[in-house]
Amino acid sequence: MPPRITASAPSPFQKLLITRQPYRCLSCSIRLSQSQSESAPQPQNASSQPTTHFGFEEIPSSSKSSRVSSVFSSVASSYDTMNDLMSLGIHRLWKDHFVRSLNPGSKPLLPASSTSQEPRTEPWTMLDIAGGTGDIAFRLLAHASLLNNDHTSRVIVSDINPAMLSAGRTRAQQPQYAPYAPRLEWLEANAESLPPSIIKDNSIDLYTVAFGIRNFTSPLKALREAYRVLKPGGVFACLEFSKVENRVLDAVYKRWSFGAIPIIGQLVAGDRDSYQYLVESIERFPRQREWRDRISEAGFLVPGVDERGEGGWENLTGGVAAIHKGIKPLNGG
Amino acid sequence: MSRPHSLAKIRCATARRIPRLNQNYHSYEHDSSPSYKPEEDVILAAAINHVPTHGFTSTALSNGIRDAGYPDVAANLFPEGVFSLVKYHLVTERLALSRNAPGAASTASGSVLDMVRHLTLQRLQANKPIIHRWQEALAILAMPKHLAPSLRELALLSDEIHFLAGDKTVDTSWYTKRAGLSAIYASTELFMTQDKSPNFKETEDFLDRKLEAAHSWRRTVADAGQWAGVQAMGIVSALRSKGVRV
Repeated sequence: MPPRITASAPSPFQKLLITRQPYRCLSCSIRLSQSQSESAPQPQNASSQPTTHFGFEEIPSSSKSSRVSSVFSSVASSYDTMNDLMSLGIHRLWKDHFVRSLNPGSKPLLPASSTSQEPRTEPWTMLDIAGGTGDIAFRLLAHASLLNNDHTSRVIVSDINPAMLSAGRTRAQQPQYAPYAPRLEWLEANAESLPPSIIKDNSIDLYTVAFGIRNFTSPLKALREAYRVLKPGGVFACLEFSKVENRVLDAVYKRWSFGAIPIIGQLVAGDRDSYQYLVESIERFPRQREWRDRISEAGFLVPGVDERGEGGWENLTGGVAAIHKGIKPLNGG
Repeated sequence: MSRPHSLAKIRCATARRIPRLNQNYHSYEHDSSPSYKPEEDVILAAAINHVPTHGFTSTALSNGIRDAGYPDVAANLFPEGVFSLVKYHLVTERLALSRNAPGAASTASGSVLDMVRHLTLQRLQANKPIIHRWQEALAILAMPKHLAPSLRELALLSDEIHFLAGDKTVDTSWYTKRAGLSAIYASTELFMTQDKSPNFKETEDFLDRKLEAAHSWRRTVADAGQWAGVQAMGIVSALRSKGVRV
């Protein structure tokens, strides 16, 4: 008969749970963030510096990018494993759908009958913002090559964080991504002020940002920058966590994101605070409708808005994530 | 698109003479066109020109996008894809009816039934240039996710035709007339895709037979209703004569 495991001999897994704080619910983390902001006097507020939010904390705008940067530096190595665990693998489906709906890649058309001009097959220049690990970039190029037989379009992968970029560069050397490596460029830049010498005005066909824009100090500045770099007729496309519209699903989702994700972060990546920040930042990002209005205020045409002003985005998994698009008008300069 | 100016004038004059009498809910003054953004309008109008060659396909749409001077990626402006192209055809041709209506309104016969026939034919003729591609469009319209907006568009069309024909019914026949015309229009349109006769003569005959059948059926129903009413009154009278309190 095998010896019974007694309570006096906890497994290493249990030890980890016992030694650290085992569970933080939504209300706990709100209380925590409130008590932190109360206990820590904020001289930057007194001197009326502009502030922004970092998860549930209020911090000066000037320090957000470095705080976010430290979050992503610490999660870069385990980023993909963590995404799989946190979203139960669904993030792959979202990203696939996102890229498929964009249908990247120039398509040589049948010769037009009425207009006898040569069908143009200009390669696209795509810009993947906050795409450090290349998740979207590889998908864009795979779609262009395999579905549209376009082997010339290029993707510029931009990220503010060198650790994320180097994770992407390493992935690009894997055999399945090797064919796309020559068509990729890696750029370390702040999406709110892209270097005008490298990303020129009116030069980009497709601007994508997946699960990135909520981390920006000012998403509106990034929108204006996107408007600058896009060609007239070019598309801004954003895949981002959003608000769940079904209340039951929302309750489940909140439990999962505030209860489970920081713990998974602690167990797998050994970094609880970064993942606590991730779920809090999701809460602070504007709702679908508000974000759509921001995009249209930035000058973009939002597709799919009906006569009553409804719609204009696409919810994924009941609104856990949402796709927003905007098209720069031809006369937009 | 504005309502015919002359009609609007007549309407206003009537309204002044007999205020608050016989007014309907249709505004002659306000624009009833759908909210196609100008950019969408330009692209879709350009794409429609490619339909005779490429059909209702994404190729026609892509060609339209290029003709309008947009890069390929602007296809994202149409999340419904080819369905937007089909719907654009339906909407523009429906609105074209009211633009061409003044000439038709002055036809001598003037009865609502004749006008309905005239307008339905006019709408069917608008399908002539693309009739060889219309079956593709019907297939797209019949897809489950597009069915609701397609039926709505059909209902709007039969309403438009009845409105332009001067139908002023205020009883349940308001609904039966429109539902009946929707069914007739849909079947005639389908018939037309197979019609090889010169100038679609057979389609016209088909439409006439359908309209006549519907009319006589409606008359039969009305007659039957009238007969039932008379009988009921007779029974009530008979009962009253026997001293029953009804």
